[in-house]
Amino acid sequence: MRTLLAITVIVLGFIALSFAQESMQFPVNQFTLDNGMTFLVVERHTAPVFAGYITVQVGSGYERTGDIGSAHLLEHMMFKGSQTIGTSDYKAESEIMIKEDSVYEMIDQARRLTPYIKINNPEKLDAHLKYIDTLKSTLDSLSQISSQYVIQNEFDEIYTRHGAAEFNAGTGYDNTSYFVSLPSNRLELWFAMESDRLKYPALREFYPERDVVSEERRLSVENNSDSKMIEQLIGTAFIAHPYQIYWEWQSEENNLKRSDLERFFKTYYIPQRIVVAVVGDVKYDEVKKMAEKYFGEMPKGIDPEPIYTIEPEQPGERRVEVTFEANPAVFIAYHKTSFSDPDEPTFQVIKRLLGDGRTSRLYNSLVLEQQICLDISTSFFPGGDMGDLHPGLFTIYAYPKEGVGTIDIENAIYAELEKLANTPVEEKELTKIKNNIDANFIWGFYSNLGLSGSLADAQSIAHDWKYLIRFRDKLKAVTTEDIMRTAKKYFAKENRTVATLIPKQTGGAQ
Amino acid sequence: MKKNILFAMALISLMAISSFAVNPREMTFPPLKFEPPEPVRFIIDNGIIVYFLEDHQLPVITTAALFKGGTVYDQSSKIGLTELTATLLRTGGAGNRNPEQIDQDLDFVGAVINSASSNDYLMLDLRTLKKDADLGFEMLADMLQMPLFDTSKISLEISNRKDEIRRQNDDPGTITRRIYYQTTYAGHPYGNFATLTSMDAIKRDDIIAHYKKFYAPNNCILAISGDLTLNEAEEFVGKYFGSWEKSNLTLDSIPAATMRYKPGVYYGNKDINQANIRLGHLCIDDKNPDRYALDIVNFALGGGGFTSRLTGQVRTSAGLAYSVGSYIFNRPHTGVFFAYCQTRASAMSQAVQMMLDIIQGVKDSGITQEEMDMAKESIINSFVFNYATPDQIVNAKAMLELSGFPSEQMTKDLEAYKAVTLSDCGRVAGKYLDPKNMVITIVGNKEQFDKPMDMFGPITEVPMEIK
Repeated sequence: MRTLLAITVIVLGFIALSFAQESMQFPVNQFTLDNGMTFLVVERHTAPVFAGYITVQVGSGYERTGDIGSAHLLEHMMFKGSQTIGTSDYKAESEIMIKEDSVYEMIDQARRLTPYIKINNPEKLDAHLKYIDTLKSTLDSLSQISSQYVIQNEFDEIYTRHGAAEFNAGTGYDNTSYFVSLPSNRLELWFAMESDRLKYPALREFYPERDVVSEERRLSVENNSDSKMIEQLIGTAFIAHPYQIYWEWQSEENNLKRSDLERFFKTYYIPQRIVVAVVGDVKYDEVKKMAEKYFGEMPKGIDPEPIYTIEPEQPGERRVEVTFEANPAVFIAYHKTSFSDPDEPTFQVIKRLLGDGRTSRLYNSLVLEQQICLDISTSFFPGGDMGDLHPGLFTIYAYPKEGVGTIDIENAIYAELEKLANTPVEEKELTKIKNNIDANFIWGFYSNLGLSGSLADAQSIAHDWKYLIRFRDKLKAVTTEDIMRTAKKYFAKENRTVATLIPKQTGGAQ
Repeated sequence: MKKNILFAMALISLMAISSFAVNPREMTFPPLKFEPPEPVRFIIDNGIIVYFLEDHQLPVITTAALFKGGTVYDQSSKIGLTELTATLLRTGGAGNRNPEQIDQDLDFVGAVINSASSNDYLMLDLRTLKKDADLGFEMLADMLQMPLFDTSKISLEISNRKDEIRRQNDDPGTITRRIYYQTTYAGHPYGNFATLTSMDAIKRDDIIAHYKKFYAPNNCILAISGDLTLNEAEEFVGKYFGSWEKSNLTLDSIPAATMRYKPGVYYGNKDINQANIRLGHLCIDDKNPDRYALDIVNFALGGGGFTSRLTGQVRTSAGLAYSVGSYIFNRPHTGVFFAYCQTRASAMSQAVQMMLDIIQGVKDSGITQEEMDMAKESIINSFVFNYATPDQIVNAKAMLELSGFPSEQMTKDLEAYKAVTLSDCGRVAGKYLDPKNMVITIVGNKEQFDKPMDMFGPITEVPMEIK
């Protein structure tokens, strides 16, 4: 019925690492299907296992008002199976899903009228609310009916039965990734499963899963002091760009519809936005053959418009407080570069210099010498390894020791940042950073999953996996002058946002 | 922004384009054939047992030094001594390097040494590039044989640990875990947690005595993997660990934990909008032959991820939790079983009741043939992941020996899982699961709960003050 599309581009590259005495080589085989889907394959025949890593170039950074939460909820829904997996009769099931959605639409319409009935026809309010309740019970009974066709969690069950490890997914701002490790003789199972859910998704059990995601938000944000701080920090630092939302807002999540996710899926889950990396005990030719067989017929989509919003320059320091039942903390953010900015590699070096490890400047000064912090670290937000698609943030998270004021912590941090801007970094310290960059690069190859993730990320962000190596080289070329110039440029008070955790005194907690 | 219903219907019909040729549900594969790499085991004169696995794929070396020991040996007045000593081996200076020099020399080459302690074991762990192997081994060896326990570092680590204790109520999950273990293991060292007072009681002499007692070559297993030949590995071990002197090792025997708690609800008050729930009881030890059947039962109950009853019912069907499941932790001196979830405060009783009912169902009727087959298939097919990376292989072998198992235990385990029958599952479920006599830990704000907690038994409010 369908003819397989020919593979047109085959690029063979090598990741080569050389040292004084030893060298190693990992050939990375690359091909792109006619529909634009890119595959990266590394054969590694040590253990009879492989990792499959699929990155879709969309995440919550693509959401606009009305879709907030779509990227994450859609990632959850992708575990519900497909039109083959997870159902005993998709045709019958989908008919009920359409009915569910139309009833939900009626509920939604009715809810919108409620405030007007309240002020204009209060005598009709009771009847109106009863009507909404009736619709809700209709929706429940429809869900009951559809559940008779659902084979619950079958997608997960098949993988589990075949011995899957590390089966999960993650939603970021720029990317959403789906990954799993399997015994190497299950390569075809992986292709069949992944192509099935990407080609023929079925967003079943939608309404309960929306509740699961709400519960995830309560667990991960509302009851977690670090996340609450980050939510306020980035919400304050950004006023325009989609990076400002840390986790979908409950009110928007609660009103997402299946049709919102279907639209989001159709717009972004298209082959030219998908990168697949397979690393482990596989044969390149076999991967190529199966890629054609299982993904070749996936139709190319229409390239969606990018996000045009550029965060306006911050005109002055922004400060925010978070009152929570936890001990004090201070989180600081500076606007920084995006992946393609020439200052990005310098920022990566600065991050390590300031906050990676016990000899990093902030840890050494605030934790070991001044002993005013219990812990301090530096990171990026959103935090892609090779930079983010849009300008993100450089962040410092500090936890004061008992009795130390957050303002003292802030001042000690600013003193270190100022030193970085005004005093050249010694050669030895820079060499240390570069040695660490080399070591981390090598350890990045240790596990199949780690390597597959790095390759897919590099291909997604830079549209070229070899950027993984070029980026490492750029990091190693960063100079003392680059560091001083970048520190001066970005670590200005006007460019800064500060969040402080103010302990709430309740219960028995101190 | 929201599209109308016609649009949604149009999309659904667009997406329903084809039926699939190969149904993943029906795909079958022959069992994976593989020969697990076998690490070399050797013992040197002072008693160190070494597991070594050669792997030249990357120019890296991993080494773990494992010891019997752990927090179960802490005196009740000095709880925290084990953790503190482990930390100070890494941070307190060693050999001819003061603490700063250690950090600088390791960081300069990007090598990492971490120390860790658990209830029953101690570990130092080195990861280095091959070119820095000498430096890495030298520092690991110095930390184990010539720790300095710098006094200023002792005060800093004690003070930092006390700050961590002051922060122990910041996170609801941490509180739940603490209350659960303190209650379930009442009267046993597994239930011990360091306090401000116990940390203040620890002196430098205690640390030195603790170090001398546990960190001895005749209590040590080294697990080495990576870019070395066997000859090189033997040379490194001889050069850096050969002159480490044996000690007269006597470890106190630790009694098995017995049930000393009153079943019921143990409540921790924190003003949050979820109920953080963990319920369970003491279970079996790590040598109990019923552990295979019980693992399979637990897989079906809540250990097998989405395919388990707890996840299927509490998460997928009811939408009550993001993270829900159950766990069996087989430990040398009596393990535990527990089920857990976090749900919105207004669904607390619904979630607890559902979990208890599911456990009761498994206790009364066991699991189904399909559930057992599924668990076995998963265990058998994922067995290969025990051998995914070289460090995993040697570390696993070393841990087995340290825990008193024969070195072929991994394959024995696999055979034992295969041999479990449905009636074994029913028997162990009935014998070990006991939902009527549980410690039900609930952390949250009781004002927001849907029903009073006493429907699940007498309530003990656990004080949250930090001592």
